[in-house]
Amino acid sequence: MTDAVAEAPAESAAPERLPLTRREFLNYLWAMSMAVFMAGGGGLTVWFLYPRFREGEFGGVFTVPLGELPPADAPPKEFPEGRFWISNIGAGVEQDPRQPEDYPLQQGLRAIYKVCTHLGCLYKWIEANDRFECPCHGSKFLQTGTRIDGPARRNLDVFPIEVIDAGGNVLARTEPSLNSQEGTAVPLPDGAIAIRVDTGRRVTGASNSAPGGGF
Amino acid sequence: MSIFNLHLPILDEIKEHGLKTTVRDRSVDVVTRLTSGLSPSDIRSILRDDPPGRPNPRLKPHSEGFWLHMKPTYYHQLMDGVYPTFRLGWLSTFFFVFEIITGVLLMVYYTPSPAFAYENMLTILGNVPFGRLLRDMHRLGAELMVAVVMLHALRTFLTGSYKKPRQFTWATGMILLLVTWLLSFSGYLLPWDQLSLWAVTIGVSMVEAIPPEIVGQTVNLLARGAPEFGANGLLRWYLLHVVAMPLVGIIFFGVHYYKVIHHGHSLPPEDEEVGEDTAKRVPTDTRVYFFPTIATRELFYTVALTAMMVVGSLFIHAPLEPHADPLITPLHSTAPWYFLWLQGMLKLGDKVIWGLIVPGVLISGLLVLPYIEVGPSRRYGDRRIGLTAGAVTTLLFAILSYMGSPWYAVQTSAEQEAVAELVPETHPGPLRLSDWNELQVGTYDASAYEAAPTEALHDLLEEFDHELARIPRDERTDHEGIMVIENWQTGLKKITLRVLWTTVADGNPGEYSQTLYLHEDSNYGQGE
Repeated sequence: MTDAVAEAPAESAAPERLPLTRREFLNYLWAMSMAVFMAGGGGLTVWFLYPRFREGEFGGVFTVPLGELPPADAPPKEFPEGRFWISNIGAGVEQDPRQPEDYPLQQGLRAIYKVCTHLGCLYKWIEANDRFECPCHGSKFLQTGTRIDGPARRNLDVFPIEVIDAGGNVLARTEPSLNSQEGTAVPLPDGAIAIRVDTGRRVTGASNSAPGGGF
Repeated sequence: MSIFNLHLPILDEIKEHGLKTTVRDRSVDVVTRLTSGLSPSDIRSILRDDPPGRPNPRLKPHSEGFWLHMKPTYYHQLMDGVYPTFRLGWLSTFFFVFEIITGVLLMVYYTPSPAFAYENMLTILGNVPFGRLLRDMHRLGAELMVAVVMLHALRTFLTGSYKKPRQFTWATGMILLLVTWLLSFSGYLLPWDQLSLWAVTIGVSMVEAIPPEIVGQTVNLLARGAPEFGANGLLRWYLLHVVAMPLVGIIFFGVHYYKVIHHGHSLPPEDEEVGEDTAKRVPTDTRVYFFPTIATRELFYTVALTAMMVVGSLFIHAPLEPHADPLITPLHSTAPWYFLWLQGMLKLGDKVIWGLIVPGVLISGLLVLPYIEVGPSRRYGDRRIGLTAGAVTTLLFAILSYMGSPWYAVQTSAEQEAVAELVPETHPGPLRLSDWNELQVGTYDASAYEAAPTEALHDLLEEFDHELARIPRDERTDHEGIMVIENWQTGLKKITLRVLWTTVADGNPGEYSQTLYLHEDSNYGQGE
């Protein structure tokens, strides 16, 4: 009897603990809704900060008449307003022994984006060395856009070219090359009067990291 | 009689004690309130270095006032010398405050817009009294702050002060190091000169490499404010520099310093038993009180350092390159010196691995270092592996920094490098800094430098000739360096640097030339 009396308050002093009380559950719910709200606010902040610019504001489509293009095998020509170089690959450039085998060439025009694929500096054409060289970290590229040296890890990016005739018909255009998915060089068919370079669409250069150039 | 009932107790006091006594008592009261408990006689006794009374009235400003509430009332006498802290934490704080003061003053003459920023720099340099001094001090202070914060981290590592219980103090310190780097780096863009644009372009292009691509591109666009740096980008970096980063810095400084005081300054490792931390149990006879010893000393440091900054800025000038040009990257553009290690790593290979993953692992490794490295002893003799690892890391930092500099692995063709030595694209260089009057009109051959009519021409031609030796002889022969100086307008000279050679392979002649115009008052040396 006395034992039973002594045990009863001990049991009631330690009631069975619920795994989750109603208050705790509601507080978690409240905290979760706060977290969702904060995440939403964070997302809105990024959206707020995201710069607004029109599609194609970066460059747009440039039309270059045939007379302004560099002749085949001549040094590439810079078009600063469109942020590209036009390189005219002829028979001489095609047989350049420095061209890595992994990136076979065909003759024609390429519109090469003028920003180094390493860290965003603008490379220059160095006539004496017959190649592009980046002034910041020393990446080197052939006039075909293929990387041959330096910390850059891919070939130069290109913009797609369309060759048009007097009627405005497209005679040829840059296609992805079968092996590397890089933009191909575009030959100039008869009847062409100009090329159109679309700087709104950039074709990424193929991966290239071996010393001297190559996969 | 009285229109309204106004009761001024001071009038009663004057009536009772007389004007003189009342004014004296009230003044004492005001001083005591402003100093949170130090009466004028307490202050005088501090200045005379009398022994404090009991209870020590000099502890009141710590317990009752805001400004000293975190500052300890006394230090251990072992922490009063140069070793073991070298005062590097205090120095970091000094430079942070120094940068805020000089920075806020410079903001008065600055507009964060590409249309005005560079012009503002010229105004500050040439048309604001002490403008150049302030800009030089701000720049010098920034460089020193980065150096001091980095040394502070190194010292904390060497004395093992990051160990338990101070792990969190170390972690917040690492965040403050990142904040310091970002503070300094974000200031780079503001003058809108060539250095600004290209150093920050390189820095942001590293961030662009964050995988996956959508994240990298988003962060890149958020940082540049547009596909390329322009008005939006400048404004964003300005706000980062003057609002966001200082705010983060102040918050983490508060946490960091609170932790420092909470755990006490860690004593020199050799003065404690291994595994013990006695920083909070300072015996009475080893205490050095804040008032007067530490307070007067820190005041003296502040004055002396400020004077040194003023004098230093008379000799070390903040550079200003030509106006930013998004179409031309200057040869040998680099990131600031404290990011050269990153640039050096980027030359090793893939930018995702070397520009992001490796530095990311390194920095997070440093952040959690005290939670991983839990050896109990702070003694130098017990930490041979840790100290060796620290020394190797410091050495690697130096080697990678060298690799990041233009002297390593970035070589354009030899004749352009030679001309760039005389007329560099990232700083004035020897030709622009030469005495204008000594550049006499004529045509000079670099190899005939002995016959040059003036000393300046002699030095320039000698360097030109020396640099031409870079040209590889097996590829080109008959190389020749020519400098032509002409009078172009009144007070304006045209200087042409020309390099001629014959290519060995096909026998064709080659030529490279660069022209620059120098005005009598160009003042590239900023008056030096």
